[in-house]
Amino acid sequence: MSVCGGPGDAAAPRLRPRAALMARRPELLCGAAIVLGCAFLIALKVTCSRAKDVTMPAKLPVNFFSTRSPVIDLFRGQLDYADQLRQDSEIVLYFFYAPWCGQSIAAREEIEHVASRLSDQVLFVAVNCWWNQGKCRKQKHFFYFPVIHLYHQSFGPIEYKGPMSAVYIEKFVRRVMTPLLYISSRSKLLDFLSNYEPGVVGFFEFNASPQPPGYLTFFTSALHSLKKDYLGTIRFGVVTDKRVAEEISLVHSGSVYLHRHANTSLIYPKDIMNFTAENICKWALENREMLIRWLRPHGGKSLLLNNELKKGPALLIFIPYNPLAEIHPLLDEITKVALEYHKCNKSQAAEACLQHVGDSDSPAFDSSVTDAHLKFSETFPIAKYPCCNTVVLPQWHSISRTHNVCELCVNQTLGVKPNKVHVPHCNFLEIEAALDSFYLQEHTFFQVISNTIECSNFLSFYSPFSYYTACCRTVNRHFLSFISSEKTIFQTPKVAFSSHGKKDSTQFSIPHIEDRNCFIPDLNISSTNITGLSCRTNKTLNLYLLDSNLFWIYAERLGASRSTHLKEFAAIVDLKEEVHYVLDQNQSLVGPTLENFIKNFSVLYSPLTRHLVDDPSVHFQEEHVVTEVTTSTFQQTVFLSAKNVLLLYYAQWCGFCASLNHIFIQLARLLPPDSFTVARIDVTRNDLPWEFMTDRLPTILFFPHQRKGQSVKFPEDFSVNLPNLLKFILHHSSLSSSEPCTKECLHKESVLQQGHISHLEREIQKLRSEISALHQAHDQLEAQLSEARREEQRLQQQKHTLEKQHKTLQLHSEQLQATYDQKNQELLEMAEKLQELADASENLLKENALLRILVASRGGKLQSKDEIEEPLQSEQTLSEDNDISLSTATAALEEKRIDNIDTIETEHSSGNRTE
Amino acid sequence: AAMRRFLGPLLCLLALRLPAGSGAAARGLDVASYRERVRAMFYHAYEHYLESAFPYDELRPLTCDGQDTWGSFSLTLIDALDTLLILGNVSEFQRVVSVLQEGVDFDIDVNASVFETNIRVVGGLLSAHLLSRKAGVEVEAGWPCSGPLLRMAEEAARKLLPAFQTPTGMPYGTVNLLHGVNPGETPVTCTAGIGTFIVEFATLSHLTGDPVFEDVARKALKALWKNRSDIGLVGNHIDVITAKWVAQDAGIGAGVDSYFEYLVKGAILLQDKELMSMFLEYNKAIKNYTKFDDWYLWVQMYKGTVSMPVFQSLEAYWPGLQSLIGDVDNAMRTFLNYYTVWKQFGGLPEFYNIPQGYTVDKREGYPLRPELIESAMYLYRATRDPTLLELGRDAVESIEKISKVDCGFATIKDLRDHRLDNRMESFFLAETIKYLYLLFDPDNFIHNDGSDFDVVVTPYGECVLNAGGYIFNTEAHPIDPAALHCCRKRKEEQWEVEDLMREFYSRKKSKKFTLKRAPDHGEGENVKDPEDASSEKAGEKRNSKKSSHSLLSCPSQSFNSKLAVLGQVFLDNT
Repeated sequence: MSVCGGPGDAAAPRLRPRAALMARRPELLCGAAIVLGCAFLIALKVTCSRAKDVTMPAKLPVNFFSTRSPVIDLFRGQLDYADQLRQDSEIVLYFFYAPWCGQSIAAREEIEHVASRLSDQVLFVAVNCWWNQGKCRKQKHFFYFPVIHLYHQSFGPIEYKGPMSAVYIEKFVRRVMTPLLYISSRSKLLDFLSNYEPGVVGFFEFNASPQPPGYLTFFTSALHSLKKDYLGTIRFGVVTDKRVAEEISLVHSGSVYLHRHANTSLIYPKDIMNFTAENICKWALENREMLIRWLRPHGGKSLLLNNELKKGPALLIFIPYNPLAEIHPLLDEITKVALEYHKCNKSQAAEACLQHVGDSDSPAFDSSVTDAHLKFSETFPIAKYPCCNTVVLPQWHSISRTHNVCELCVNQTLGVKPNKVHVPHCNFLEIEAALDSFYLQEHTFFQVISNTIECSNFLSFYSPFSYYTACCRTVNRHFLSFISSEKTIFQTPKVAFSSHGKKDSTQFSIPHIEDRNCFIPDLNISSTNITGLSCRTNKTLNLYLLDSNLFWIYAERLGASRSTHLKEFAAIVDLKEEVHYVLDQNQSLVGPTLENFIKNFSVLYSPLTRHLVDDPSVHFQEEHVVTEVTTSTFQQTVFLSAKNVLLLYYAQWCGFCASLNHIFIQLARLLPPDSFTVARIDVTRNDLPWEFMTDRLPTILFFPHQRKGQSVKFPEDFSVNLPNLLKFILHHSSLSSSEPCTKECLHKESVLQQGHISHLEREIQKLRSEISALHQAHDQLEAQLSEARREEQRLQQQKHTLEKQHKTLQLHSEQLQATYDQKNQELLEMAEKLQELADASENLLKENALLRILVASRGGKLQSKDEIEEPLQSEQTLSEDNDISLSTATAALEEKRIDNIDTIETEHSSGNRTE
Repeated sequence: AAMRRFLGPLLCLLALRLPAGSGAAARGLDVASYRERVRAMFYHAYEHYLESAFPYDELRPLTCDGQDTWGSFSLTLIDALDTLLILGNVSEFQRVVSVLQEGVDFDIDVNASVFETNIRVVGGLLSAHLLSRKAGVEVEAGWPCSGPLLRMAEEAARKLLPAFQTPTGMPYGTVNLLHGVNPGETPVTCTAGIGTFIVEFATLSHLTGDPVFEDVARKALKALWKNRSDIGLVGNHIDVITAKWVAQDAGIGAGVDSYFEYLVKGAILLQDKELMSMFLEYNKAIKNYTKFDDWYLWVQMYKGTVSMPVFQSLEAYWPGLQSLIGDVDNAMRTFLNYYTVWKQFGGLPEFYNIPQGYTVDKREGYPLRPELIESAMYLYRATRDPTLLELGRDAVESIEKISKVDCGFATIKDLRDHRLDNRMESFFLAETIKYLYLLFDPDNFIHNDGSDFDVVVTPYGECVLNAGGYIFNTEAHPIDPAALHCCRKRKEEQWEVEDLMREFYSRKKSKKFTLKRAPDHGEGENVKDPEDASSEKAGEKRNSKKSSHSLLSCPSQSFNSKLAVLGQVFLDNT
């Protein structure tokens, strides 16, 4: 038995489940006496094979992590013990796994890696949450494994849903360890705020009390945000120095600030919302600014890309990213580009204006620009700063194909405090409500579209104390007219407002007019700075980052070369137009190239060309009967070659294509290779220019020689087989040779006939091989036939011998019959003799009886003559003598009978044997 | 309708449950090491079968002995034969072929399932026959139109023919191999038991030249088509004498599954528009009535009301089938739903209640079925999505951790606690292992895209074989579609081609003649084409053809399919 052949130590653990099996199934205990080795197995086998339905409980759980691992492995699912352990450490990471789960197994080493780095600060506990006797399985109900939960003291569980890679997990654990970043100085604050990820800063003065009011709430909200925002994009910082806090206009301890780059930053509205951890977190999440977003698909079914890419064209930037790294120079550079791209709002726009003035060489613009700037600087200090958001009107509005940009502001009648860094106090609820009502009213703006700024005020749904201002301008290429900055106050009809229910005529009467004269016309886009481009173009890009360590496959799908060692790639994907553009991979991915890429996309007649993904796996060295065409060889093989080309569009996965392979191979072998090419292209791996795309597969196109432009399609309702294909080719290629015969034609004819000859030669070859195949078949048959003949002969011989045997057997049986008869005869004789004997004995018996009667009668006579005649006594003794001799005779007779039976029996047994 | 509304949100919820991240996917699985692990799994099971169970049908892995289950044909050996070749074990393939030739006898007094005998025995022998040359078995001169394995397949198939002698042409479910249909045999057969013959039987007819097999298979298919409900659905069981539906649950899973599968595969194998148009009609009805948020439920076949909101393990073949006809987007979405169930249990329960998110009572087992892995293999061909390799990894880990015992791999009796049962179905070696191996072996000859091929000279002419496009029967036995064009009708076609080639070279002289002939011939072809359909139906078909496109084609993939990997799905733009 091979099962027993293993070494002793290997056999030992194997016995364990069997022991368990025995314990739980008492009927198997009969085998338990012999516990070791093969004998045990055999015993088990015997008992089992008798039982009808044998089942076996699941194997007992074993260690999932090695015993030396820093991870505590509760492989029996002892959740209660896990909870006890939690008391010992401030930070605990639970790794709930199922031992059979591939993902758990893959994540195991990642967790071990993190554990080895953080084991002194974090307690790592792995719990088998599958073992059905364990507490964990009984209490928790997971739909997938592994599940990672983190606890910060009593706060938790915080589920980690990010990528199962050590660096990401470690980063997250570190965030849970220190959810708040302590910002000690101005420079640190600037660092903190300049990051591309949104930052929330709380100001708490620790001078007054060791635990300033609200600090704990703020701390908890930082932890809370990790629950919601598992990618941890919002960072939380705390400022304790009043002077530092003033930089961001925080005066009171306990105020919270959300920094935004492109739009105005916000201060948490304590007076409107309760200061709770959940609220702060929600507020930050809803108001954060997403200039550039990380995309991290979690691997399960999701609509992430669908939702993001359907918002409009997207720039996907792939960079290798290590979350643990201290600095990310490439990321910073990209962030800079993104910030510039999104800089639409006033203060920054003003900067842009200044820059532009400096850059501009054109004297024609000088005056107006300066003028605009002057105007702007005038209005700047006195402008009552509302809370504003820039809105780019959706592209789907078809009335005008111009750039429509709106500045949406909330004007509050209370609590507006201008401050040093010009950060107004905004309420996210209001901005949202404003957006809602703005979109509802949208149509009113589009009734008049001109090169003007149109502003409108409308009331908020929710608050009677505020109104919104929307200033929209239709921006078009003839921007010069705009420079003159006509201002028209566009008043929405009152009817429209009545639907809002709350009407405040005093507010309504004060229109808020904003000017943005610094909007520099984009006449010469190629020289235009990227600054604020997102608001000036109708092809606004959404920017996304992807970690190429995790999601390089998307880059490959978009045409990134597989051979590159540097995993950097950028592509613009426009889902609606079904095109994508790729930043040349030979250029390094730095700020200026990205800027150019974006600019080139944004201009009206974009110099970018649709990228066609090519299949790199096709090697040219390989010569196939059917030529494999790719994107890059398409032109050359199909159009530039001097042959007739039959092109099959196919896909490997399409069942209808794959089953035609043999037909095209046959066709290619049949047609003369010097004037015909049979080719095919896998259109799932090779993009083609629009005019050569097909919507169904397989599609067969024929490009006749000399008329490559006039390709013909094989009619779909004919079945694809060799004769039909030949007819199709024949029909369409014959048209070409209608011109009168010249020398060239003669030459062609000769070439053709040469081809014919070679074809016929091939045919002959084929026929020869066919003949040889037939010969083979013939030989095979012959062999079979001779085999059969031999078989017949053999059978005949066998028949003969059988007959002989039959004869001898017959003879034998005759002999047996004869002996049987003889024996029978003897028996009969014996029986006769016995009969005789029986008769004789009967006679004797009769005689005996007669004698007795005689004796009796004599006796009677004697009695009567007793007293008279004494001498008669001698005669009596004589008769007694006679009696004795009689009894001896019967005894002899008996003996003979027994003898007889014996002989019959022996005869019987011998008869059996002969039968 | 109320039921449907009620279910809607629940289904959505379930589909959106997020599984954990996919770090491993990005770094890439070690495909080669998983391939080797699958190979080791195969030999662990196969060697123990030979040692402990042969010549019984199946191995009983807990007791290390064998039992007969579907007849008495050493079923596991027949079923595993072509897996041996796919794993590259040529010598064992040759040995088994000779063992089978001597050892297997179909003249036995055994009641056998017509369906199972066809897919496992006939299918297994046919594919082994067609692959035997590739495996280095010395074939006779008439191969592939004759050979010992083909004769065995034919003999087995002939034993099944008596079951088709019914008024409707739909076969009985069981037949005695020696005596034919037993008197008093139940006339109730499941739909799949009626419609799962065309692949094997048509192949047999094309190879042997005897049309009887294909004819009975087609007749049975048409009988089902005629008896579909007004809303275009078929039920689960039908009376083959009266053609009355006995079980009226309509769905894509148990009892029906391979009927749909064979309509598509038959259409591909035979380039048959009629079969495909049948499938497309069913597909429409299935989408309309049973599909909810990428799940497929069970409905009443006449009313279309939901009868069971369950997902069955057997239904997992559907995404694979969809990818064969080019519906890759929908296939992937459904696949991802099914994959969440695997992640929950480490296998697919026979029934899974979708709204409750748990197994159904008495249906918690997982007999190591292949369907989900099969779909993963097809989809991996189409998308190269690493998520599909991840399913393969999960399957290998689960099966090794849960069901591996000393004597093989045991069926999981209950997925809730992973209790094992004393059975290893023959499809484990025939299908589960095969699809797993093929998933991890993208360069296997089975995946040949037509760049390699063999030329075989037969007494009937020259054949191009092994050019890829293998059609798997429902027991994962591959059939080479090119072989069907090798024997029957071969001569006429060849002569026609000869004529055309002659014209081709002499077109200067008979140019006008050629011009006229090509379209003429085309029309002739058109009449010849729907030879099996009634004239009425042919007319119907032509109308539908004119309105859209050829039925025997796939749509090309949309732009967003480039990014539809790693779980990303896109909603239809339309």
